[in-house]
Amino acid sequence: MILVVAILSGRFLAPYITRVFSRSPSRLDKVLNPIEKGIYRLISVDPARGMGWKEYFLAALVVNIFQMAIAFIIFAFQGVLPLNPQGFPGLSWDLAFMQVISFGTNTNLQHYNGEGNCIQLPNCAALTPGVPGLSYLSEMMAVQFLQFTSAATGICVAVAMIRGFVAHSKDLGNFYVDFTRSLTRILFPLCFVASLVFVGLGVPQTLTGYHIVSTVEGATTRATQTILVGPVASLVSIMQLGTNGGGYYGANSAYPFQNPNPASDIFQIFLMLLIPTTLCFVFGQLTGKKRETRPILWGAYSLFALDLLIAFTPNLPVVGPGMEVRFGGFFSVFWTVVTTAVTTGSVNASLSGLNPLVILSAFNGMLIQATPGGKGVGVMYMVMFIILTVFIVGLMSGRTPEYLGLKITARDVKLVMIAFLVHPVIVLVPTVLAYSTGAAGAIGVGTSSIGFTKIFYEFTSAAANNGSDFLGASANTPFFNISTALVMFLGRFAPIGLLLSLGGSMINRKRLTTEAGVRTDSPLFALILVGSILVLVLLTFFPFLALGPILEFFQGHVNGF
Amino acid sequence: MSTRLSKMMSARRTTLISRKVLIDSLVRLSPLRLIANPVMLIVEITFFIVIAMALDPEAFPRLASSSLQVFYVEVALILLITVWFSTLSDALAESQAKNTANSLRRLEMEVSSKKILIEAGSRRIVPTPSRELRTGDLILLEKNDTVPIDAQVLEGIAMVDESLLTGESTAVRKAPGDDVIGGSQVLSDTLTAKVTVNPDETFINQMIRMVESSKRPKTPNEQAVTIVLIGLTAIFTILIGALLGVSLVLSLAADLSVLIALYVCLLPTTIGALLPSIGLSGISRLYKEKIVAKSGRAVETAGDTDVILLDKTGTITVGNRQAVEFLPFLEFNERDVGEAAFLASWHDDTPEGRSLIRLAYEAGFVPKEMNALDASEVYEFSASTRTSGVKLAGGTGFMLPKSGGTGRERGRLRRKFEPHVEGGVPIGSDETEIIKGAPDAIKKIVKSVPADYDKIVQEISAAGDTAMALSRNREAIGIVRLRDVLKPDIREKIMAVKVMGIRPVMITGDQPLTAKSIAAEVGIDEYQPEAKPEDKYDIVKREQAETRIVAMIGDGTNDAPALAMADVGLAMNSGTQAAKEAANMVDLESNPAKIIEVVMLGKQLLMTRGAVTTFSIANDVAKYFAIMPVLFASTVPELKALNVLGLGLNTAVLSALIFNAIIIPLLIPLAMRGVTFKPSGTMTLFLKNTMIYGFGGVIVPFVGIKLIDIAISLV
Repeated sequence: MILVVAILSGRFLAPYITRVFSRSPSRLDKVLNPIEKGIYRLISVDPARGMGWKEYFLAALVVNIFQMAIAFIIFAFQGVLPLNPQGFPGLSWDLAFMQVISFGTNTNLQHYNGEGNCIQLPNCAALTPGVPGLSYLSEMMAVQFLQFTSAATGICVAVAMIRGFVAHSKDLGNFYVDFTRSLTRILFPLCFVASLVFVGLGVPQTLTGYHIVSTVEGATTRATQTILVGPVASLVSIMQLGTNGGGYYGANSAYPFQNPNPASDIFQIFLMLLIPTTLCFVFGQLTGKKRETRPILWGAYSLFALDLLIAFTPNLPVVGPGMEVRFGGFFSVFWTVVTTAVTTGSVNASLSGLNPLVILSAFNGMLIQATPGGKGVGVMYMVMFIILTVFIVGLMSGRTPEYLGLKITARDVKLVMIAFLVHPVIVLVPTVLAYSTGAAGAIGVGTSSIGFTKIFYEFTSAAANNGSDFLGASANTPFFNISTALVMFLGRFAPIGLLLSLGGSMINRKRLTTEAGVRTDSPLFALILVGSILVLVLLTFFPFLALGPILEFFQGHVNGF
Repeated sequence: MSTRLSKMMSARRTTLISRKVLIDSLVRLSPLRLIANPVMLIVEITFFIVIAMALDPEAFPRLASSSLQVFYVEVALILLITVWFSTLSDALAESQAKNTANSLRRLEMEVSSKKILIEAGSRRIVPTPSRELRTGDLILLEKNDTVPIDAQVLEGIAMVDESLLTGESTAVRKAPGDDVIGGSQVLSDTLTAKVTVNPDETFINQMIRMVESSKRPKTPNEQAVTIVLIGLTAIFTILIGALLGVSLVLSLAADLSVLIALYVCLLPTTIGALLPSIGLSGISRLYKEKIVAKSGRAVETAGDTDVILLDKTGTITVGNRQAVEFLPFLEFNERDVGEAAFLASWHDDTPEGRSLIRLAYEAGFVPKEMNALDASEVYEFSASTRTSGVKLAGGTGFMLPKSGGTGRERGRLRRKFEPHVEGGVPIGSDETEIIKGAPDAIKKIVKSVPADYDKIVQEISAAGDTAMALSRNREAIGIVRLRDVLKPDIREKIMAVKVMGIRPVMITGDQPLTAKSIAAEVGIDEYQPEAKPEDKYDIVKREQAETRIVAMIGDGTNDAPALAMADVGLAMNSGTQAAKEAANMVDLESNPAKIIEVVMLGKQLLMTRGAVTTFSIANDVAKYFAIMPVLFASTVPELKALNVLGLGLNTAVLSALIFNAIIIPLLIPLAMRGVTFKPSGTMTLFLKNTMIYGFGGVIVPFVGIKLIDIAISLV
């Protein structure tokens, strides 16, 4: 049901997004044009000037790094900055470094608890030093700010790559303009609406600080409970909408205030799926070949369905320790599959409570990254897989491979192969390093299949810019902070750069208008695409999955690590 | 010729793995030679590692065990054999290509020439085969000699016929300083000329030299496939490296040799081994068709063809028409027409002219003016008037002419015919002029045009036949119906082309009605009637503007621009040098219908490469299931649950490795002859092959490995 609604909404939202990026006139122009023009003038950008892939990529990189730098300062000095009613101290440099990259790369891997250690403490006035939390300023100015910009960046680079495939395009567009417009015309309005819905559903949105109230039984025991509130609704909106996943609370959407009831749960799942699905349609609409949405969408959702199938194979739902009992196992499992399929990384249940097969399915989503994948990059990855499939399998049609009428050259294959290669390198190498340097042992993760799964998951999640993890705040050590930061950065920007280059090289290339090649818009192609994605991805990671969740499964772990 | 050649080939096939090939394949095992094939180089490196393990297991602490030395030797042996299978396939493909190339060289016309040797001031003429001539040699060219090789005239002035080469029918005057082209013919006088090229530099030779795989540049598609292979190799290298690391840090005690076995099994060894031979044998197959391609790229492009321009004559029809019917105008009868046709064609040696005489003879229309043919004046066919004919002086009754016709025809006439008009009386005491030619050309020269003239001509054209008009003394007497003879199988071939989604376009000089009828008969929907040579260029340009890939054939010089522009240009060896140079392939047998085979071959080449690549990658799935359970068997026995095939723990690794090796020679025949396919649409082929080589590629190794496992455990 949720899926159908998400696909349908994507279908209806797509024309609007396409118009935003093709800069067609719209009713919003009256209000937004002056604002946008002001912004362009402020940063002295000529909105009419197009960029090649190098310039576009560089602009995206510089803007992102600049924003991360600001966020770094906020994180590091939140202790002396305003809007810190709880009095959280600044984050350590390595944690701040890791967190800015985490939020800046749309990963939102969190090695801290947003609310600090208040869950464990009866009173937040007495914070234990060294347990990091985030002030309101950090949550709003650093986290939410980066959640918006990283989501916007994802949309921009995807659109830029798609522009390369559009016939007669002369450049990939202007990053500053795309960036501004995706914020003003897509993310802000959608987020505003979503926030209102969440507030309506009972998610708090306030800056008043935590409330300390007497509990019901407090009348007799004099116990107090800290009510942890803050600007939660808006953060939840952008975290799900932007496939960010970094929640306000350490327990993320398993925490009642972030996700008070089944309606908010369903709505959050819907928001996660919304933009990645929409971008599948945008691909077809921008390129002017609407049928080409099909392999991307069908491919993505068949793989998604497969993930669900794996996740629901065991006689689940089993409610184990750490499971969200309010929604039951079904929603926990479903949520986990969705959150990894779109690389959001938000959780509504503790991963440790889930069956290994659910974790396997989660891995699947993160390793493929295109089911339908994170905001923007999901489409990019799917195009990468399509090109690989068209090239290797399509050769058997007896024609030199082509996609959208573009002949696939040796250089395209090279770019695609390198983009594909990035993932195994940044997942496997640090996983081994985590053990060989003793960093895993230092935080108490063992060498069993369970321990291995946790470490492997940590880096897979970082590389896929997903953000869900087993380790959480326990991984707040210099090794994990720095290694995941690097993995997240490479996992984000290396494929983006390579695939932008791919898009850029399509400009001015001869386009065949004949439709004599392999029809990529046929259902059978989508099926073959799914098959080759599975073979390619599983071939690359199978031994590690076998040592992790698969082994856990054979060892008979049901849940509860 | 072709049967002899094929016999030669099959005789050679029995000794295909000759000692030479065997030695060559062993020489290629040298790591230096393998650099060009990174996948196989890596396999060879792993061989050396495993050999080292076998020799000194102690040198590999935690990775090797001295109790497994025998196993290491076995693994190493299979690894080496894997590499050898690959070099064997290379050596085979190359020897096959060289053999076919050599047989092609023999096909090249040998012309003997008169080489001038100047010794002590005197000139001596030495007969020399053209292939032994070298730049700077002097040659003597006399009347009726064929110019053996490109040369420059030093002395003498002569008329040279270059029609075969340039399409220019009038003889060309050659004076000192002019160039003469190899293959042209001296019509008069004598020339002394200096050879300007070496025989090896001739066009065909240059093309043939491409087969030596060391010199053969990789085609764009081959390059791209190589990149995929390198990419996969890189991925698996990282994977195995990480797995080794994981095994060490988690103390999983994996044996290095099993890890290496997994590594080699995952590497795309099958396609890595066969990729060079696939490309090479594609070119070999082309050679067997007696076609030389300038580059492998052209062959690949042929597979992409969207539009194929077919010259009607030579491709669709056998090139000459046959007379089938005489149609007299109102006041004449069939005999008048038949006799006129007979007379007008007596001196015409074209197949068309001969067919006129045959038809007249078989109908018994032998003219009494025969004897006058000796004293006749012959009007040769000229392109400007598009007519030919004969002018007869007064005859003296039935007597066989002394010249013209073939000896056999003359003999038959003598035996069978008696003059049916009492002898000696000349019919036309005056001169008789008979002219045959295109209906519109005859229309211009006759005094009055009969009422039914156009009707008959149109009726013939509508039926797809060609009309030829006859006039006697400037009076139109009738029309001959000439019928095109279709090439055998052409209809099926056109059908196949269309099924594959390629549009055939017929190019013909015929008028629209004739063109339409023939096109309809063979199933072609598009045709260009009354085509001039420039039209081909325009069509190529028009189709390319719509981003279609165009294949065409050509022979004349005025085809050269179109040949150069077309994506696939096949020139006839009988054509001009200019055409051959503009084209990217030359058919030594000058059979234009082969363009269709070229397209099919291009498709087959790409298909084979894709099939083996897909098969190779799909194979890996099963190999995981064979080796993963064993890899960590001692520490994580639970993974034995992955042993879905129920392989023996001691034999699983060897089975997978043996399968990995043996699949290479098993697929050599496929690589050499190419994937067989029925002509069908791109999508159908794609799906069919994906089922066979993709899906099949996942299934086959499960079965194969299991069978090998059973076999090993029995031994």
